[in-house]
Amino acid sequence: MKTRYFYTTLLAFSLLTSSCSDFLEQQPDTILTNDQVYSDPNLIKSVLANFYERISYGQRPGGEGYDFTRLDDAIRYDFDQVNQFDRNRWRVYDYELVRNINQFLQGLNETTVMTDTEKAPLIGEARLIRAWYYFNSCRSLGGMPIVGDEVFEYTPGTDVTNLQVPRATESEMYDYIINECHEIADMMSAEKTTNSARANKWTAKMLEARAALYAASLAKYNNQMAAPIKTPGGEVGIAADKANDYYQKALEAAQEVIQQGPYVLQDRKPEDKARNFYEAVCIKDANTEVIWARDYIFPGQTHQFTKDNLPTVLAQDANSSYLSVLLNLVEEFEPINTATPGQGSKFNVGSFDGTPTFYETADALFKERDPRLGGTVIYPGAFFAGTEIVYQAGQLNFENGQWIKKQGNANDRDNQGNLITSQNGPVYNSSLRLVNKTGFGIRKFLDETPQSGTIGRGSEMWEPRFRIAEAYLIAAEAAFELNEGSNAVTVENINAVRTRAGVQPLKTVTFENIVHERRVEFAFEDHRYWDMLRWRRAHTTWAGRGSEAASRRGLWPYRVVAPDNSNNGKWAFQEQDMSFIYPNALSFELRHYYSELDNSWLNNNPKLVKNPYQ
Amino acid sequence: MKKYIINVAFSLILLSFVGCGKDNYDAPESTLTGRVVFQGQALQVRGTDERVRLQLYQDGYAKRDPIEVFVGQDGSFSAKLFDGHYKLVTRDGNGPWVNSRDTTEVELRGTTSVDLEVTPYFTIANPSISLDGNMMNTSFTINQVVETAEIDRVILLLNSTSFVDDGFNVMRREFTSNINIGSNSLSADFSEEDKAMNAKTLFGRICVWTKGADQGIYSPVVRLR
Repeated sequence: MKTRYFYTTLLAFSLLTSSCSDFLEQQPDTILTNDQVYSDPNLIKSVLANFYERISYGQRPGGEGYDFTRLDDAIRYDFDQVNQFDRNRWRVYDYELVRNINQFLQGLNETTVMTDTEKAPLIGEARLIRAWYYFNSCRSLGGMPIVGDEVFEYTPGTDVTNLQVPRATESEMYDYIINECHEIADMMSAEKTTNSARANKWTAKMLEARAALYAASLAKYNNQMAAPIKTPGGEVGIAADKANDYYQKALEAAQEVIQQGPYVLQDRKPEDKARNFYEAVCIKDANTEVIWARDYIFPGQTHQFTKDNLPTVLAQDANSSYLSVLLNLVEEFEPINTATPGQGSKFNVGSFDGTPTFYETADALFKERDPRLGGTVIYPGAFFAGTEIVYQAGQLNFENGQWIKKQGNANDRDNQGNLITSQNGPVYNSSLRLVNKTGFGIRKFLDETPQSGTIGRGSEMWEPRFRIAEAYLIAAEAAFELNEGSNAVTVENINAVRTRAGVQPLKTVTFENIVHERRVEFAFEDHRYWDMLRWRRAHTTWAGRGSEAASRRGLWPYRVVAPDNSNNGKWAFQEQDMSFIYPNALSFELRHYYSELDNSWLNNNPKLVKNPYQ
Repeated sequence: MKKYIINVAFSLILLSFVGCGKDNYDAPESTLTGRVVFQGQALQVRGTDERVRLQLYQDGYAKRDPIEVFVGQDGSFSAKLFDGHYKLVTRDGNGPWVNSRDTTEVELRGTTSVDLEVTPYFTIANPSISLDGNMMNTSFTINQVVETAEIDRVILLLNSTSFVDDGFNVMRREFTSNINIGSNSLSADFSEEDKAMNAKTLFGRICVWTKGADQGIYSPVVRLR
C-alpha cells in the first residue's frame, strides 16, 4: 500500500516537472508585437491603411444618406418632422485615433529596418491624418486638447491629473494644424497618388489653406455678431486682429498648390460642360482634379449611395430616389446668359392661374443654366447612363378656358393611356417611398458603372475631400478679404473656376459672389454647412418659418395634355412647397454653432470647459 | 406526479416572496418647483422643445452631469428629485436675460419652491391683443432693463393651441422697424395664412427679441378665438 502511494506521488511529480518543454509554447498568431510590425514595410503600410479608414466625417456618399437632408440642398422621400438642427450630428471626437497615430509615429521612429528617407513620407502621412482629425474636431467643437506626439502610459498609481489635458484655444488649435501641415508638406511626396487615396504634399498644403481660411473667417465674422460666440478662455472665439494673418497664410498655401502642384481644373469636354463637371468630380480615371479622396474599390470597399439614389426607373435593387434635390439649390445655378453673373435667380415659370410659361422640352429650362447644374442634379428630361429620366408631377389640362392640373399616383395613366404622373415622381404623397418629391434627383456621386446600384456589389464612387477648384476659391476668398473685390488675384482665381464651369467671368467680385460660387461648385461635398458656420450666416439664412431661404421648395413639371390646344405636349412648371413632407422650416439657432462636449468627457477630464450655450 | 407539481408550485411561490425588494432605489419623491423671475414677476418664455433650460448640480459625487430642468412658457419649472443640497444655475447663453451664471443654492427637503432671479434685457408690460377679422391688433409697452441691449425684432404670433412661440405657431409676423422703447401698437394681417384663418381656436402672443440673444421674451398667452 505504501509503495503504491510512493509510485503515485513519483508519477505525479515526474509529470509535473517533465512537462516544461517548449513543445506547447507557441507565438500568438493573431497578435503582432511592435517589433514585428515596425520591421516590415508592408505591415507598416497596413497600419496606415487602418488610419485611413477611420477618418471619414460629415456628409459623404459612403456615410449616412440622411446627412444630406439636413440642410437646404436635399430632402429624403419620407415625411420628416425635424424642426431643429442637431448641433452634435457632425461632432468629431476620437482621441483613440490620435493615440494610435502617436504609437505609430513612436514605433516608426524606433525601427531600424527603414532609412530616414523612407520613413519621412510615412511620418508625414500619419501626421497629416492626425491634423485632418484635429481640423474636423475643431470645426465642430472649437479648441480641444492637443496631445502632441506623446504616447501616454498608465500604470496603477500614476497621478491621472497629469494625463488630463485641458482644451487648447480655438486659435491655438488652428495654429497647430497649420504648422503641422506646413512642416510635413516637404517630407511628403509631390507626386499624384493612385485614385488620390493617399495623402501627399498637396493634401497637406490644401489642409493648411483650408484651416487658415476657416480660422480667418472665424476671426472676422464671429466678431461682427451682435454677441460674438466665445468662451472666457478662448476655447471658442478668435481675436479679430488675427484675421489678416490667417487670410495671408490661406492665400499663400492655396497659391502654392495652384502654381506648383500637378493638379489642374479638368476641362476636357468644352462641348459638354455638364458632363465635364460630373467627370471632374466623380470619375477617377485620368482625373486631374481631385487631390485627396476616400477611395472605394470592389470587392470589399464599396458603399450603397448609388443603390439608394438611382431614379426609380433605373433602380437595380430594393431602393431608389432617396434624395430629392431642392429648388433652393437648383435655382442657385445662374443662367448662362444672365445680365448679373455670379448669383442665382428664380425660374420664371408663370402661373397656372394666369398664363403658365410653356416649354417644348422638359429640360429646356435647365439647359440654360450653369452647366454645373447638369453635373450635379438630374433634372426633368436629363439622361443618366443613357436613359432619359422623366419627372412628371401630373398633366396640365385645358378645361373651360382654364388650366387645370391633374395629379395621380406614381405611374398612373389616364383613359387615353397618357401618363399622368411618372413612376419617378414627383408625387404629392408624404408617405410614399422610393419616388422623387421635388422634381430633381441627385447626380453628383451617382455611379454609372453597371451593377453599382445593387446591394451585392455596391458602388466604388470615391469621396473627394480636396480638389483643385477649392484651392482657386480659397485663393479668391482670401485675396478678397485682404484686398477687396476688384483685385486681380480674386478675379483671376474665381474666374478660373467659372470659366471651366462654363459661365461668364466676373469683372469684380462681391462677398455674395463667393458664397454663391462655393455653394454651386461644392454642392454635396460637405462644404455648405461649415461655410455657413464660419461666415456666421447660418442663423440669419436658416431663420425659421417665414424666411424663403429656410423653407424647402421643389419645382414640379407638368405635361400639357390638351389635344386641341397649341401647347399640347409641351411642359409647364409650378413651384411646390415641400411643407407637406417637411412641415418645419430650417431653423438654426445660436447654440448650434458649436457642438456640445459630452458629459462623459467632462466627467473623465474635469479640466475641460463646456462650450457656449451648453 | 401530483406531488411533484405541488412541490414546484410551492417553491415558485416561495421564490416569489424572496425575489423582490432589495435591488432598487425608491423613485425620487421630493419636488422642486419654482419660477424664473424678475422683480417678483415670472418671465414668459418659449416653453416648447426644451428651449429654455436650467441646470441643477449636486456636489459630492463622482460624476458632474447636470440635471436639466425645463422652463415652461409661463416661467415655471419643476423637478422630481431626491432630498439633498443642489446648485441651480441658468444654462450658458440661454434665455432672454443677461448671461449671469450665479448659483442659487437649494436645500431640498420634501417640497421646496424657489424663485430664480434673472435680469431680462427687456420686459413687456400691459400687453393687449385682440382680433378684428383677419387682423391681429396689439398694443404693449417695452421696458428696457439693460441699457446696452438693442431690440432685434418684435414678433406677433398666433397658434391654434395654447402653446404659442417662435417655433410653434400658425401665424408669425416679424417687425424690425418702428419699434419704440415704451408703448407700441402693431398689427398683423393674416388673411394669407390659411391655417390661422381656418383655426377654430386661436391664441396670441407678443415676442421681443434682443440682438445677440438666443431666445425672445414673451407676453402671456391670450385666448383670442
